[in-house]
Formats: sequence, C-alpha cells, structure tokens
Amino acid sequence: MGQSAAKYAAGAALSGRDRGERGIDLAAHSRPRLRDAPAAWLLIIPVLLLFSVSVVYPLFETLRLSLFDIRGLAPPEYVGFGNYVQLFADPAFRNTISTTLIFTLATTAISVVIGWTLAMLCSFAPRQTLPFRLMVFAAFGVSETVSGFMWIGILRPDEAGLLNSVIGIFSPGFSYAWLGDETTALGALIVAATWSAVGLPMLLCFASVQAIPRSVLEAAYMDGAKPVSIMRHIMMPLSLPGVRVAIFINLLGALRAFDIIYILTGGGPVRATETIGYFMYRESMTQFKLGYGAAATVVLLIAVLVISIPAIAQRTAGAK
Amino acid sequence: MIHSISSRQGPRSLIAALGLTTALTGAAFAQDLSGDLVILNWQGGVDGEMWDELEAAFMEQHPDVTISELEIIAQGDARGGIRSALLGGEVVDLIINTWPAFREELAVSGIIRPMDEEWEANGWDDMLGQSWKDLGMIDGEVYGLTYTYGDRSAIWYDTEHLEKAGIEPPETWEEFLASFDALSEAGYAVPVGIPGKYWAHAEWFESLLLRTGGVEAAAQLAAHEIPWTDPVVREAMMKFKEMIDAGCCGDASQMLANDWDGVADQVFQADAMNYLLIGMWMNARAKNEYGLTEGEDYSIFQFPALGMGHDNTSTVDAKELNITTNGENPEAAQAFLDFMLTEEATTILAEYGYASPSTAADTSLLGPVQQQATAAVSESEVQFVLGDLLPGDLVDEYRVQLQRFLQDPSEENIDQVLAAIEAKAASAY
Repeated sequence: MGQSAAKYAAGAALSGRDRGERGIDLAAHSRPRLRDAPAAWLLIIPVLLLFSVSVVYPLFETLRLSLFDIRGLAPPEYVGFGNYVQLFADPAFRNTISTTLIFTLATTAISVVIGWTLAMLCSFAPRQTLPFRLMVFAAFGVSETVSGFMWIGILRPDEAGLLNSVIGIFSPGFSYAWLGDETTALGALIVAATWSAVGLPMLLCFASVQAIPRSVLEAAYMDGAKPVSIMRHIMMPLSLPGVRVAIFINLLGALRAFDIIYILTGGGPVRATETIGYFMYRESMTQFKLGYGAAATVVLLIAVLVISIPAIAQRTAGAK
Repeated sequence: MIHSISSRQGPRSLIAALGLTTALTGAAFAQDLSGDLVILNWQGGVDGEMWDELEAAFMEQHPDVTISELEIIAQGDARGGIRSALLGGEVVDLIINTWPAFREELAVSGIIRPMDEEWEANGWDDMLGQSWKDLGMIDGEVYGLTYTYGDRSAIWYDTEHLEKAGIEPPETWEEFLASFDALSEAGYAVPVGIPGKYWAHAEWFESLLLRTGGVEAAAQLAAHEIPWTDPVVREAMMKFKEMIDAGCCGDASQMLANDWDGVADQVFQADAMNYLLIGMWMNARAKNEYGLTEGEDYSIFQFPALGMGHDNTSTVDAKELNITTNGENPEAAQAFLDFMLTEEATTILAEYGYASPSTAADTSLLGPVQQQATAAVSESEVQFVLGDLLPGDLVDEYRVQLQRFLQDPSEENIDQVLAAIEAKAASAY
C-alpha cells in the first residue's frame, strides 16, 4: 500500500518531465489502476455481473427484438428497421409524441415550480411546519397505483366524485367527467401526476437552501436586507443546483410515466392521454407485438438519453 | 368370504363384479391422483371466489391433489399477462380462456394440446352437446372444454325503475326508443348506461350488427370476408346513431369515463341509469356485491327486435379450459376437466349465477334471470362476441374508433370511423 502510494507520488512528480520529453500525458496513469489492486475485482465483478444481467442484456435484447416482427406467440420474423419505419408512420405513435411532450413538460414545470416555492416558504417557516413538509414529501413515496386509485375517487364522473361534490356545494347537481372528456383528461392526468411529484423538488430545493452558510444569511440580514430580497438574491440563486437536479429527475420520471395513466385513463379517451410509455405497454403487452413495442422502447430510451446527457455531462464536469 | 357363482346368478354377479371392479378401479384411479395441479387464472373478485370454491370441492374429492393458481392480475384484456407468464417460463396444467382467437394462438404456438383422447375416454360427448364441442375446436380437433357460457345480448335493468316509469321491458326497437322518454320523465338522468372507457361500448354495436346483418354477416366481418365499410356494418352503426339521437345515453364524456362496473353502480346503486348491456357476470355482481335478489330486484330482457329479419340472433360468450402441453400433472388436469362437468361443479357455478352447458347441470338451480338468458341462447342463432374473434391490434382500433363515434354520431363521422377500422383491418389479417 505504502509502495503504491509512493509510486503514485513519484508518477505525479515525474509527469511534467515525461510529458515534456515524450509528449505523453501520464496524469491518467497516475490514477489507481485495477491491475495494481487485483483484489478490487472481487468487489467490482459482482456489480458488473448484476449490471450486465439487469441492464446490458435487457438493453441489447430490446434492440434485437425491435428488429423483429412478433405477433402474439407466433415465431419472430426479421424485419430490420421495418418497425421503426412503421412506428413513425403510425398516427397513433405520432399522437403519443405530442402527448408525451405536453405531459412531461407540464408535469415537470408545475411540480418543480410548486416544489421550489414550497421550499422557499418552508425555509422561512418555523420548525412546527415540519409535519407539513413531511406530508408534501410523503406523496412522493406513495405508489403511483395507490395514487391513481385515490385520484379516480377524486375525479370520478358522478356527483360522488370528490371534486364534483366540492363544486356541487356551490353548484348543486354538478357532475363532470374530467377523465372522459378529451379536453380535460390530459390536464386532469397532469394534476394527478404533479401531486405526487412535488415532494422531491421541494426536498432538493430545501436541502440546497439549508446548505447555504448561516453567516451569509446573517450578514445579509445585518446589512438590512428584507426577507424578500434575501430570498430573491441569496436563497433562490443558491438553491438552483437543487432545482436543476429536480428538473432532471422529474423530467425522466414524467417521460417514463405509465402507472398513473394505466389506472386513471387507460390512454383514453380516444388516445388523448396515451404517452410513449403507455403506447409501449399497449403494443407490447396488450397486443403482444413485442418487436413493435421494443422499437417504441428504443425511441423512448433515446429521448431519455438525450435529456440525460446535459445533466450527466454537467455532473461529470463538476466531478472534475 | 368367498361365494361360488351359480349359473343362474352368474351374469348378474358378473355384472356386479365388473361394476365393483370398475368402481374400485375408479376409486383407485381417484386415489392415484396426487401432486400439484396448476391453473392459470385471470379472474378476480366474485369470480375468483367461485374458483376457490370449485378448487376446494375438487381437492375434497382428491385429497392428494393440491391445486395452486397462477394468478394474472389484469385490467381489461388479460391476454398480455397470460402470454408474458407463459413466455416467462411459468408451467401450468390448465388455462382458463375466453377468447377463441387466443385459443388458436396458443394451439399454433404449441402451448396447448388437443384433448380428443380425454374427450373420448371420459365420454364428454354425453355431457356436452355437439355445438359446445364445435365451439372448442380448431381444424377438427378439440382444444377447449366449455364450462360456462353467457348471453351477451341481454339488457339488464332494475325492476323498480321500469315500474316507476310505468313501462314493461321493451320487446321492439320502437318500444325501446320510446322508453327513454318515459324513464326520463320518471326522473332518471340517463336511460342507457354505455361504459365506453375500455371495451364495453362495443357490446351495443355487436348486438346491433347481429340484428341487422345476422350471424353470417357478423362471422364474415370477424374473418374480414366483408370490409368494415360494408353497408350492413354501416346499417348497424346507423341504428346505434338512432339510439343516441333518441336521447339514450347522455354526454359522451360520461360514457368514456366509465367502465362497465361503474355503470353497473349507476344503474343498481345510484339509480341514475336504467339499462346496461353486458355479459352474465353482471348476475354475480348483482347478487353477491349489491345483495340484490335475482328476478325481483333486477332482471334482463333480450335485445329488442329490429324487424330486419334477424331478431332470433344473440351474441354469446363462453369460458373454457385448455390443457397445456407441458403441464406436470396431466392426470389431475383431465380429472379436473371431468369434474367441471359434474353436478357438483355446475351447482357451484349456478350458485354464483353462471350457467353450465353440461347435461349434468340442474337448470332448476339457476335463478330466474339466468334461466331467461339460457332460454334465449337456446332459442337463438348465436355468434361469439365479435371483439374476441378479432386480431389483437384490430380490436384495439375498433374500440377506439367506436369511442370516436360516441363523441360524434353523425353520418359523416360514421363513414370515417368505419374507414379507419377497415384501414387497420387491412393490415391485421
């Protein structure tokens, strides 16, 4: 161990000279290498195996399946990129793209804005508001299925629906099919999905605010800054890292949304709430067109990667 | 004690001995049955309870057999879950099935096998009529043993609603349409509950198709031997439009927000709707979940006569059992199929409100509603539920397009809806 450390130190000391003489950057070589610590493989191999089985294999299997036409339990037939061509020619799939965009952006934007606002308010609130914060965050932990059934009770189309009955206090006999009308179904779904998605942004932003050194806030206060100014000029800018992470996580969550759509609308009415996640399920599981569903999965994967790259790149840059 | 057999008592004793031997062999056979019997079940709720009771009764007869269920939890069409389970390597002995198209898919892929040998060995020809045998056949081989069937052209109603409106169950289309006003005047919000969220709105179209085009047209459409734009299909849609124009069903968004169980609640609990066209499982819900008395609190009438020459038709469904090729206990599977046709099993079915096609079934055990439905089926030319005969991707488009029709039942939209289904059908076969 001491020998290795000495070697790294020597490597670091020599690196400038070597770079100059040979034109080779030895900085990379100065990092600990696996061959220098063979025992590390014992720790890494199980993880690699698990990763291969649970991520790499399914990924390649999905890519492979997307090149086949599979209908029901019939044997697969190789069609190359035929599924992808068919996918983008399918009006139902094109419809899911716009629905997915609306659902994803709206859910993310609303949940992050509300979460951020709540975090700011909670920062000023006394300790006694802890149960409130816990309640908001608890919604994040509720299973989407349970949340879906709860929202069915709220949005059911008759007068027994909670929302209808509340409106009915002011307008007796009021009943509206929030989930049965194309114009309101997606909005209702966004509200339901947002409800459970607010907790995480609130927590992340609140954590960012809590990380602000107390001396900074005290100095601002001593300088006569008002709470609104402190919030605007100190807390909000310094909580932005939390906001960024929240946007990223909520964006990915909304993009992959399935459970709540399945429970609340089943993609309807008339496919008005069918996102890529639900389309993928419908094609793969209901109609059992596994190849076609896999092609939709690959498209969703690409969308997730595109969204993830800036966040990953930023994280990597931060690590450096 | 050994008795000699005299010549006079010989034949009788021989028969008795043979009978005893057979009985003993049977008993021995019954005793030999052991091990696990796995049934793939996708039915929950009251139906799930019925299955628990059936299985318990079988295990009581065969104490060495343990039945376990592979339960598929599904909303709507359970076929996806069943396929996943089977492809995922689950091994079951029996599959409960209700889709003829799916039976064929299972047979073609080698998951289920013909049961002609079992059929003959157990003498099921004596228990089930030829038409039931035909229903379970693919290319001349039997793959499915039907254990229950239902009238899907029956319209359910709350007897008190019709009494309050001062009307009798309508028999003709005109009477049916006229009843909407009477029911509205009696204070009910919506005469016909159409559950349009997933699939149940198609039931109306399917019975209308039968009444306008007969079983031949429905069969041809199921096989895509006539296009969806055919005048007979359009005629059925026009009748559907007539019903909506007469004020049957309220707002489209209300229809599209509800599945059949929600509408059933509206009819039998909230007294907000009056008619529901749905399968015979409604009987189990009405009896067991609403606690209503069959034939007194609720009843059915057969789809009204349109006077177009096909009023003796009904759409039906059936549930069957399929034997798998890789099941580990084929003997117990065979015994269970045989059990499902016995009086004991059919009595359990009857208690839950289900009719059995078995000749061992005591039809007097059936409630008045179920007897009415059974009589309607036996007197009708029947056609299997259209949706269960269509290829998977077509059936989805068909149901979505019917939702579009409910939103806009204009003639122009009917043409667009049928053209869209036909476009999908062109690639689905």
